[in-house]
Amino acid sequence: MTTKQFLSLEWKQFRRSSFFEKGLAIKILMILGALYFGGLAILAGIGVFFIFKKAIPDQDPFTLINNYMIYWVMGDLALRYFMQQLPVMNIKPMLLLPIKRQSVIQFLLLKTSFSFFNILPLLFFIPLTIVLMVQGYNPLMAVLWFVSILAISFSINFLNFILNKNTTAFYFVIALLASFIGLQYFNIFDITPYTGVFFNSFYEVGFTALLPIALVIFLFKMNYKLLRKNFYVDGAVQAKKEKFKNYNLEFLNRFGTLATFLKNDVKMITRNARPKQVLLMSFLFLFYGLIFFTQDTYKNMPVFLAFAAIFVSGGFLITFGQLVPSWDSEYYKLMMSQNVSYKKYLESKWLLMVIGCAVSFVLSTPYIYFGWDIYAMIAAGASFNIGLNSFITLYGGALNRVPIELNQKAKAFSNTQGFNPTQLLISLPKILGPMIIFYVPYKLINFNAGIIALALSGVLGIVFKSYFLKIIENLYQKNKYKTISAFSEKK
Amino acid sequence: METIIKVQNLSKSYKADKVLDIEALDIPKGQSFGLVGNNGAGKTTFFSLLLDLIQPTTGHIENNGIIVSENEDWKPYTSSFIDESFLIGYLTAEEYFYFIGDLRNTSKAEVDELLAEFADFFHGEILNQKKYLRDLSKGNQKKAGIVAALIGNPEVVILDEPFANLDPTTQIRLKKIIKDLSAQKNVTVLVSSHDLMHVTEVCERVVVLDKGQVVKDIYTSEATLKELELYFER
Repeated sequence: MTTKQFLSLEWKQFRRSSFFEKGLAIKILMILGALYFGGLAILAGIGVFFIFKKAIPDQDPFTLINNYMIYWVMGDLALRYFMQQLPVMNIKPMLLLPIKRQSVIQFLLLKTSFSFFNILPLLFFIPLTIVLMVQGYNPLMAVLWFVSILAISFSINFLNFILNKNTTAFYFVIALLASFIGLQYFNIFDITPYTGVFFNSFYEVGFTALLPIALVIFLFKMNYKLLRKNFYVDGAVQAKKEKFKNYNLEFLNRFGTLATFLKNDVKMITRNARPKQVLLMSFLFLFYGLIFFTQDTYKNMPVFLAFAAIFVSGGFLITFGQLVPSWDSEYYKLMMSQNVSYKKYLESKWLLMVIGCAVSFVLSTPYIYFGWDIYAMIAAGASFNIGLNSFITLYGGALNRVPIELNQKAKAFSNTQGFNPTQLLISLPKILGPMIIFYVPYKLINFNAGIIALALSGVLGIVFKSYFLKIIENLYQKNKYKTISAFSEKK
Repeated sequence: METIIKVQNLSKSYKADKVLDIEALDIPKGQSFGLVGNNGAGKTTFFSLLLDLIQPTTGHIENNGIIVSENEDWKPYTSSFIDESFLIGYLTAEEYFYFIGDLRNTSKAEVDELLAEFADFFHGEILNQKKYLRDLSKGNQKKAGIVAALIGNPEVVILDEPFANLDPTTQIRLKKIIKDLSAQKNVTVLVSSHDLMHVTEVCERVVVLDKGQVVKDIYTSEATLKELELYFER
């Protein structure tokens, strides 16, 4: 098999992927999204030099950039751990064909070079290098520097596959990253000048560039060896089997008939890759408030505080809830033919979201640091989330018919699972709703009135709970056959 | 005998393509009913209609007097195993059985009692494995799915291709289980199969589907296997 044939297979896989099967609107949105991020990277690449120049005028901006490079390396490694997956599964059919293993593996490894994570740094560092040249830095050495950085980027790429979902390594990197940032923030110890010397040397000394180049070659070889050794159906090609974990979930029995579903959902979340990813995402949402609450600009625009407050307690609700029936897509036929009442099923999902909100709210207690006003806002937001957002989310879920592969991580950018225009539309009331509910009484009366209105809206939702559930249930019933057939489609 | 499954003017079309067309079919209570046919004959379509997983184009199916596409009250006494999508991959076999038990108002103790009866059917490969269902072999997954379909004393049991993927020992045991269900517990069992021998051995009645139509409806006797083989030899 030649490279040409490989490429043609890849092209078919790309062309026929679910991405292109989506509607036109989604395609445009996705392309706009890609252009947005790409454009952002290019702009950042051009701008970063001048930002540093302006912020700290008495130092060489290039040296400063090199100092901060260590954060990019570690951040990139952490990000890739989550998002990037070695696409080994596709090679299973190749094992039986008369193709040299060597060429399959090489192709596979080279293919990873074209991932989004390797293109983004290119978009950032090429403009930066050009800016450097224009600003009078030695062009030859700047190119050498660029090549070194590129080599490091690819080293991260290959290192990630060697670590291959090693959680200890991941937490080590995260802990290191956090402590470096912490130490620097509190002016205890600043690592950046020390590592900066290394990155600077690519430009200043030049031949140190051999180091990252050697590293990338070494890591490529190592990956190759590792794959070569495990290139059997019971080796790397096989999906990882997870060790059995069990917990005592008896405490959930207090929820009566809903406990059956709740216990199942807890197991679903803890034993599958995709929901675990979502759980972590929803945890990160807790910190969303920091962006808004730390800046004085928003103090005078409390409507944005309302916006942020929704996300602080609603992370789980939003990320998990929007994919509600899809979580059960792998065994949806069972659910539909078993002795399950839709109402109970939906109610259990609602309860799960409420629990998620409540936990997030408790975890958000440290926000009291920013004042009771902020905390009251978060509390009111949590009330809205529990009382209204949960139902809106469930309603939106009924329109969502994209199956989820539970044990596959979502891939960056190629992931359009559970994303459609209706979903986008339904997210408008989720976000704009609380802002309006807060803003009108705030403008007419005062801040406290806005908070009370937001909190009351949530209480109202709980009062009408069974009515809302009935509406949602009817919608699910109406869409039952469509959902079953969509979920049983091959992914 | 009292009829439990009653099919009337049932048809299913995808655009112009008619994949199932059964004018009338009555299955009496406690019968073991076999459905055979080549690929695409409409066996799985029929079972899916019976379980209200797809919508009929015309007509309807009654399960104990309840029209399945209009009312859900048939669910408590009907159970089924069609394919792996009826399994919850991230549960262990026990957890799955207890989950189904919970849904069918069957206590843990009752489920355990039932499982004990199937000890030799499981052959020590299902219970206490500390493995998730998704990590079991296809055959073992099937065993778990079939036994789960027997939890909660169902009156109607629907099994699609239960013999495929099973080892010979298990096939023999399964045949005994199905026979006992209909003979001793008066359970109506509907199975489909590609294996003519198994079906004639297990079922009191065999219906042959071809391109969505009933072409043969035979009460099994010693001559049935021969008759079916002759038909499929064409």
